[in-house]
Amino acid sequence: MDTNVITPAVQLDGLTISFPSPDGSAKTVVDNLDLTIPRGQFVSLVGRSGCGKTTLLNALAGLVDATECKTEVLGTTPFDARSRMGFMMARDALFPWRTARKNVEYGLELRGVPKAERRTQAARWLAAVQMSEASQLWTWQLSQGMRQRVALARTWALDPDILLMDEPFAALDAQTRVEVQREFLELWQSQVGRTVIFVTHDLGEAICLSDRVLLLGAGRVIDDVSIDIERPRELETLTAEPRYIEIFNRLRGQLDH
Amino acid sequence: MTETITASSPSGATSPRSARRARSEPKPARQRRSGTRLTIGVRLAQVALLLVLLGAWQLVASQGWIEPVLAKTPGEAWAYFTAAVQSGEISSNLRATMTAVVIAWILASAVGVAVGLSLGLLPTLERIMSPFLDAANAMPRLALAPLLIVIFGITMTAKVALAFTLVFFIVCSSARAGVKSVDDEWLRLSTVLNASKTQVFWHILLPVATPGIFAGLRLGLIYSLLGVVGSELISSRDGLGQLVSIYSAQFRMEAVYAILILLAIVAVVLNQVMNFAERYLLRWQPPARR
Repeated sequence: MDTNVITPAVQLDGLTISFPSPDGSAKTVVDNLDLTIPRGQFVSLVGRSGCGKTTLLNALAGLVDATECKTEVLGTTPFDARSRMGFMMARDALFPWRTARKNVEYGLELRGVPKAERRTQAARWLAAVQMSEASQLWTWQLSQGMRQRVALARTWALDPDILLMDEPFAALDAQTRVEVQREFLELWQSQVGRTVIFVTHDLGEAICLSDRVLLLGAGRVIDDVSIDIERPRELETLTAEPRYIEIFNRLRGQLDH
Repeated sequence: MTETITASSPSGATSPRSARRARSEPKPARQRRSGTRLTIGVRLAQVALLLVLLGAWQLVASQGWIEPVLAKTPGEAWAYFTAAVQSGEISSNLRATMTAVVIAWILASAVGVAVGLSLGLLPTLERIMSPFLDAANAMPRLALAPLLIVIFGITMTAKVALAFTLVFFIVCSSARAGVKSVDDEWLRLSTVLNASKTQVFWHILLPVATPGIFAGLRLGLIYSLLGVVGSELISSRDGLGQLVSIYSAQFRMEAVYAILILLAIVAVVLNQVMNFAERYLLRWQPPARR
């Protein structure tokens, strides 16, 4: 049997992460967290600032070390899973000295993919985010939305099995945000089996995009909601649906609590 | 806490395509024309200023407002210059000066970039070295010229060494500052992409430091000229600085003026060469920052 099918995308048993405080004591950011995320699931992490969602994401990327716990990503350590990981942040982190196309090629270049293959992949993914015309432009010539699309193309070009996204659309204006969200969902749906861990401040965004929303507070999971709204979803009209409003109010109530 | 919780917004009117068009379109023709007109205006003003300066020089020299020994006209300076070009005096000495300038600049830049990047990337090394580098940089470098001449003799090496001490610190500090301007998000991304240290250096740290390094290289080239000419003034077998020294002693001020102007022109040309190189290599920067 293929082990990929049975190992979950993420498996955490009692994940605890502490950082030293200025006064010398340890501040626990993630507290004894158990979590299983099956493959192919789109999971959003929501919660107030400082609830540990970004720290959790960083732990999955192997950027912070767990104080205690076994962290498994794609059945292995976060470090070993990196070759199958995509990572995206609120700031696009594009390199200004590379054109849009060369930015998309960056990860492939690090992996030693030959030039011709890199070009093909970059062209393909720039087209997928409707940025073909911008491939030769420098980053200062791109709008914020275009920059984030290029960052999306860069992430997808690596063909990741798991995408770790830290508020990737937070810097976009409302209209652009919906467009980029839609494009992202289309890409995700067109490729079965990719897991997305999506950190956001925005409850609405979390409900609209995800299969499951985890509400974090003080380093623990306060609520774990399955979003049983049919796909494909119409992002513009979804917010008026009763089920959306129900889930929104449920999560909102606990956040304000 | 409510400010952080917002619902997804409904769709808007602007399509990504129209936004893209607006961004990638070239500048409107009117704007471009006015830019060209401005450049022509600036050039005309520069020529006018040059003529005014030459006129003032001529006036001051011919009216006897200053010491007769200093009062040499532009015409006299030009006469010396053409004669010296024909005799080969200018070309041989210009070559001697410029050879030293270029050698000192290349050596000091290579070492300065290497040391500057190392200091920028290794905070502990930087903490150890900083007071020493600051002290060395504060030393009046021309005062080193006699010492260097004693060490290396009246040779080109002495000139190169003096210029090196000037250029090294400029390039070193600009490379150090440049590499420190790296964005943490780039490093975070590269870590997740499993980039090796070598890859991070070539793909991120070096490009990040390039604008800073370039500013240092440009300034360094002029300082290399200053260092070499300074060394030649004090003692040398050849070079434009040596010519200035000789003609000053002979009170041949028209020759001194001509050589000083030649040095100024050389500095302008060097600066322009760096401008062109910079514009090409930093073409990824928005025009306002170039």
